[in-house]
Amino acid sequence: MEPLALAAWFGVAVVVVVVAFIVIATYNDVIALRQRVDKAWANIDVGLKQRHDQLPALIDAVRGVLAFERNTLTEVTRLRAAYSPTQPIRDQAATSEATTAAVRSLFAVLERYPQIKAHENVLDLQDEIERIENVIADRRELYNDQVYRFNTTIAQVPAVALAGLFGWKARPFFLAEPVERHPPDTDLEPG
Amino acid sequence: MTPADAAPSVGSLLPTSADLIPLSVAGVAVGLLLLWRGFTGYRTAARIGGTSTSRIASIAAGEVRISGTVEAAEVALVSPLQSATSVYYRARISAGSGTDNSTAFDEERAVGFAVRDGTGAIRVFPRGARWDVPWRFDASDDWTGSRPDGLALRDGPAYTAARPDREARIAALLTVRIARDPADPEGSIGGATGFLGASVGLCLGTQGERPRRYTEARIEPGDSVTILGRAIPFGTLGDPAHADLAEGGGLDEQVEAEISADIAEARAAGLLAPDAETAWGNAAIPGFGIGRPAREPAIDPRADAAPLAGVVEAEAAERTFTIPPEALVVVASSEVPLLIAAGAPGAAGERQQTRFLVGLLGAALAIGSAVVLALGLGATLP
Repeated sequence: MEPLALAAWFGVAVVVVVVAFIVIATYNDVIALRQRVDKAWANIDVGLKQRHDQLPALIDAVRGVLAFERNTLTEVTRLRAAYSPTQPIRDQAATSEATTAAVRSLFAVLERYPQIKAHENVLDLQDEIERIENVIADRRELYNDQVYRFNTTIAQVPAVALAGLFGWKARPFFLAEPVERHPPDTDLEPG
Repeated sequence: MTPADAAPSVGSLLPTSADLIPLSVAGVAVGLLLLWRGFTGYRTAARIGGTSTSRIASIAAGEVRISGTVEAAEVALVSPLQSATSVYYRARISAGSGTDNSTAFDEERAVGFAVRDGTGAIRVFPRGARWDVPWRFDASDDWTGSRPDGLALRDGPAYTAARPDREARIAALLTVRIARDPADPEGSIGGATGFLGASVGLCLGTQGERPRRYTEARIEPGDSVTILGRAIPFGTLGDPAHADLAEGGGLDEQVEAEISADIAEARAAGLLAPDAETAWGNAAIPGFGIGRPAREPAIDPRADAAPLAGVVEAEAAERTFTIPPEALVVVASSEVPLLIAAGAPGAAGERQQTRFLVGLLGAALAIGSAVVLALGLGATLP
């Protein structure tokens, strides 16, 4: 074979190697991203389960004193019972956000009862649930960021060319359905 | 004599086909090497870009990316060329230039450190890590042979206490040193010129008048870093003391297995001392290396007595790690290689992407060189 023909074959081989590398690396990167999304979701799930397990202890500890705040306790209990790890992610996100709001209301109510705050057990439970709430918030942010990276990657070149072939689909964010927001009332006129 | 005989023709000044062959072979080799490095950069950039940064306070076990500022842990390093306190350095002194280039000194070392973000701190064990740290000091001797500004050769041991003991510092300052050996007035052998006098100075001395180039990359406490690795509970880390140090760029598994086999063989043959104290004497006493031993050392009566550590300091020196077993630490593993890169995640990813682009240029260089090689061979072959 002529040297020039050999050089041409060498050039073609280098280009093929570069293209093959990019295809294989892209496939592996998307699979790794998908695994990271799954792991990030599993880590949120751990936090949700921990909160689900801790809430009854707090409710039991304060139930006697908060007889006049039954609505708050009932709401926390109801939302705790609504937690189901088999629900779609959006539904779980809505339940989780509502539970967080109810727990914060409960904490606000507890501030009005100094006799409860004096119980070390209640303070410990409150601290623990506070910690779990922070962990859930951080991991939700991490999950959403990981989903953003996955969704962006499979929508961009070169992964978009492989997305149809391998059936890669965008993943849902851990967000409650957006509620209709009304602008605040700025009318300062009385009645 | 014709004008053509008197002056060389333009054609004779150009490289001949035979001259181009070795150049083009080198071009192909360099191009392919750059392409290979570019592939590595592409993979690393994808890994950095594809992993979200975890907050340290809510970090979960498994593969993680963290970003924050470096804090020294128990021990820190002193860099060889600028004497800067650091947790990692790679230093090189080379002499000469071009093909006449030789390395007079080359050292890479790391110790364990902590990374802190806005939510907390986590300990990093650097054994087996891949480092991506740009040169921080890059200077050469000037034409007179004078050393460059900023060069402050290390004067003492490579390791130092991360939190210097005030009393030990005061004692060291007030100590009157023994006069030097007249045979060694410069103290070049283990004396005050210390490290470079002992281990590198001899190499520097043999380099003659050739200009030297000094390069040093390092990570100092307070620097921003991005780390990709595996978070595991400290209690499950097999050998923390071993994982806390990395020298010479880290040893791979095969070399470690060989070393373990050699140690076992030497132990079986009775060549190894039964314990550290028998083998190393004072050096085995906790705190001895940093000037405040936990126990009375056996030293030459003419030498200055080292101040003994108090009860609390002695306990701290003997207790290697103060990390609770359930606390997560970041380590290297076979499934998740540890990458420690200087700077924020964006800067680290950008460096790797640049490496990939250079790799593509390398591919073009290899192809171009192959064509030139083919033309050269075509011209020389009958």
